[in-house]
Amino acid sequence: MRLEIGNFYVKDIVFGNELSLKDGVLMINKEEALQFVRGDDRITEAELYIAKPGDKIRLCPVKEAIEPRIRPDGRSIFPGYTGDLAKAGEGVTYALKNCSVLVAGRHWGGFQDGVIDMSGEGQKYTYFGQLNNIVLVADTNEEFERNEQQKKNDALRRAGHKLAEYIGACVKELTPEETEVYELGAMIRRGPETEKLPSVVYVMQPQSQMEEMGYNDLVYGWDMNHVVPTVMHPNEILDGAMVSGSFMPVSSKWSTYDFQNCPNIKALYGEHGKTINFLGVIMSNLNVALEQKERAALFVAQIAKSLGADGAVVAEEGYGNPDADFVGCIVALENAGVKTVGITNECTGRDGQSQPLVTLDEKCDAIVSCGNVSQLIELPPMETVLGELQALARDGLSGGWADDEILGPSVREDGSIIMENNSMFCGDQVCGWSPKTMKEF
Amino acid sequence: MKKAVIYVNQFFGQIGGEEQAGISPQIHEAQIGPAMQFAKELDAEVTHTIICGDNYMGSNTEEAVAEILGMLEGKEFDIFLAGPAFQAGRYTVACGTICKAVKEKFGVPVVTSMNSETPGVDMFKKDMYILQGGNIASKMRKDVKAMARVANKLLNGEPVGSADEEGYFARGIRHQTWLSDGKPASERMIDMLIKKLNGEPFETELPIPKRDMVPIAPAVKDLKKAKIALVNTGGIVPADNPDRIQSASATRWGRYDISDTEALKGGEYKTIHAGFDPAAADADPNVITPVDALKVLEKEEFFGSLHPYFYTTVGTGTTEAEARRMAKEMVPYFQEDNVDAVIMVST
Repeated sequence: MRLEIGNFYVKDIVFGNELSLKDGVLMINKEEALQFVRGDDRITEAELYIAKPGDKIRLCPVKEAIEPRIRPDGRSIFPGYTGDLAKAGEGVTYALKNCSVLVAGRHWGGFQDGVIDMSGEGQKYTYFGQLNNIVLVADTNEEFERNEQQKKNDALRRAGHKLAEYIGACVKELTPEETEVYELGAMIRRGPETEKLPSVVYVMQPQSQMEEMGYNDLVYGWDMNHVVPTVMHPNEILDGAMVSGSFMPVSSKWSTYDFQNCPNIKALYGEHGKTINFLGVIMSNLNVALEQKERAALFVAQIAKSLGADGAVVAEEGYGNPDADFVGCIVALENAGVKTVGITNECTGRDGQSQPLVTLDEKCDAIVSCGNVSQLIELPPMETVLGELQALARDGLSGGWADDEILGPSVREDGSIIMENNSMFCGDQVCGWSPKTMKEF
Repeated sequence: MKKAVIYVNQFFGQIGGEEQAGISPQIHEAQIGPAMQFAKELDAEVTHTIICGDNYMGSNTEEAVAEILGMLEGKEFDIFLAGPAFQAGRYTVACGTICKAVKEKFGVPVVTSMNSETPGVDMFKKDMYILQGGNIASKMRKDVKAMARVANKLLNGEPVGSADEEGYFARGIRHQTWLSDGKPASERMIDMLIKKLNGEPFETELPIPKRDMVPIAPAVKDLKKAKIALVNTGGIVPADNPDRIQSASATRWGRYDISDTEALKGGEYKTIHAGFDPAAADADPNVITPVDALKVLEKEEFFGSLHPYFYTTVGTGTTEAEARRMAKEMVPYFQEDNVDAVIMVST
């Protein structure tokens, strides 16, 4: 399978009278774009903003991030979700780089939503603090979940994905500045030079904990809770087969942007043919019941073994209950003789003294660690807030609180905040960006 | 200038060897032995040296500690340093003991140094900065420098780096930190993967700690007489959540009277746990706290009696340390009511 991603670098974003990309300047006709967003009659209120690195902007509650893209041949960029089912991972996709569409609630947040700062001390806590962002701030008529802590955020998230495709369309007829090529042939026909190298699978454990549909990550529009582990081509993940969900404390989440750009996949591709034979992806999940976890681990180990994998990398989108899937999967792979590296974050508590994962096993001897969900973070007020900062305290965001005997409320009257890393939007970057690690003190 | 006090044993205090190990503590308004080098390295004035025999500290610990704390009473000092103790077993325990006592009593930072092969390390590494010291006294200069580097950061209010960077024994504390080279997780993963595949040594970023297992309690001998209590981490509370237990990363718990309740009714009780789909538990809270079944079994005399309260906190994101504290707070209630066994319901 061969995927070409044609890149267009966005150096600046402005509002103007047309939708275009010229000399790295992305111009958006705000009214037309908003009219497009309002096409979903669940959207009751919508506004667009631009948030660039260095801007004195804080975003909260952020629900999703998507890289604007378009497929010149007319296929949807998220097949089975924003458009008809079609193959992903093959052919040509155009992408606007250094750029994302962020979706934030105008008022209401939830457990799974988060914070992004575009400058100051808070900027380094998320990947999106360094991107040029088009920010959709909107509200919906989804009354049934307005006061729910767990929100599907369906209208807002879909609006974001559609807007990303709408904006991406401006490069449909243009020639990309550069083209990344991702090509992997059939696993059993890689040639003797490559087949000499140790073969490796990447095991992804995307979020699928909710029994009710509408919250979990999707594969070609299908809920990951209803999937048993299966083989996928890495190009499919880089090309919109996976859409992020709306569940899990947000620092542990993988946004759709993270799937589209998955650094772990790109790093494995980078070594393919040099030090490893990158076989492909085993797409697993993180269902809650023990039997489901054990079943998934059985499937993953069997597939890895059947494919002849010498090594595996396992990454989990979550912590707490999902740690059982993560550790169980690594142990199953090691027991099958597959040398495995895990990538995760930890929950060592505000004082750093708690057990890092809910379950541990000495077979997990090679772990890359990306952060502590419960680290306390205190940040000064920000000039501009997009969304409603009070959501962090009021709406049950995983890293915020209405009041605390010692720390006071998460959101203070002067606009300064104190929160757990839990609510930094996709902050732990287990998908591979993370410049953080965990150290003993 | 800030002030420091140094503790040394009889040998480094230049009193004598083993034959003097029984001497009781003495304090000198002077820099004796290692204190002289500390004076050069520290961003503080070394005002006093305390000397105590290792055997005296070992055999009369309470008295020795009380005497030394008495000597320090009323003295101004900003930091307390002991050793370096190298590989001298008794000396390492003495350094740890006195540092811990001084830190607790006066609230000043303490620093010591000892070799990894000594008993003092495991006894005290969670309580203080213990630098990884040499095995013989010829490492004095190096060990004092290492102690002073950490001590100066503490004195100047600068952040102390990680255990690896500073050379102290890890204290069982793990925090996130930004790598100085900014190397992303994906590249660290590749490095580790290739080394592991090639059978080369690699360093995990999450060393798996020794197991902290709680043994399963022995079976209840006579269920017919047993008093049973019900505890859950599934967040089942009266609908108004009177104890304001948090939905995640809980630090609070509550207990609720069920002496006159035959079953928990949806609407009267609900879950405030944010880590799972609440629909089933809200509709029928007994699926998490099976009060209904236990009341029936109690009537049928399947077991002795049910403790009149159930206990609740939330498990999602809640740290092990907080969970342990909350459990310790619950236990006296069970003991007071002579509870024989607890059913612990998780989610």
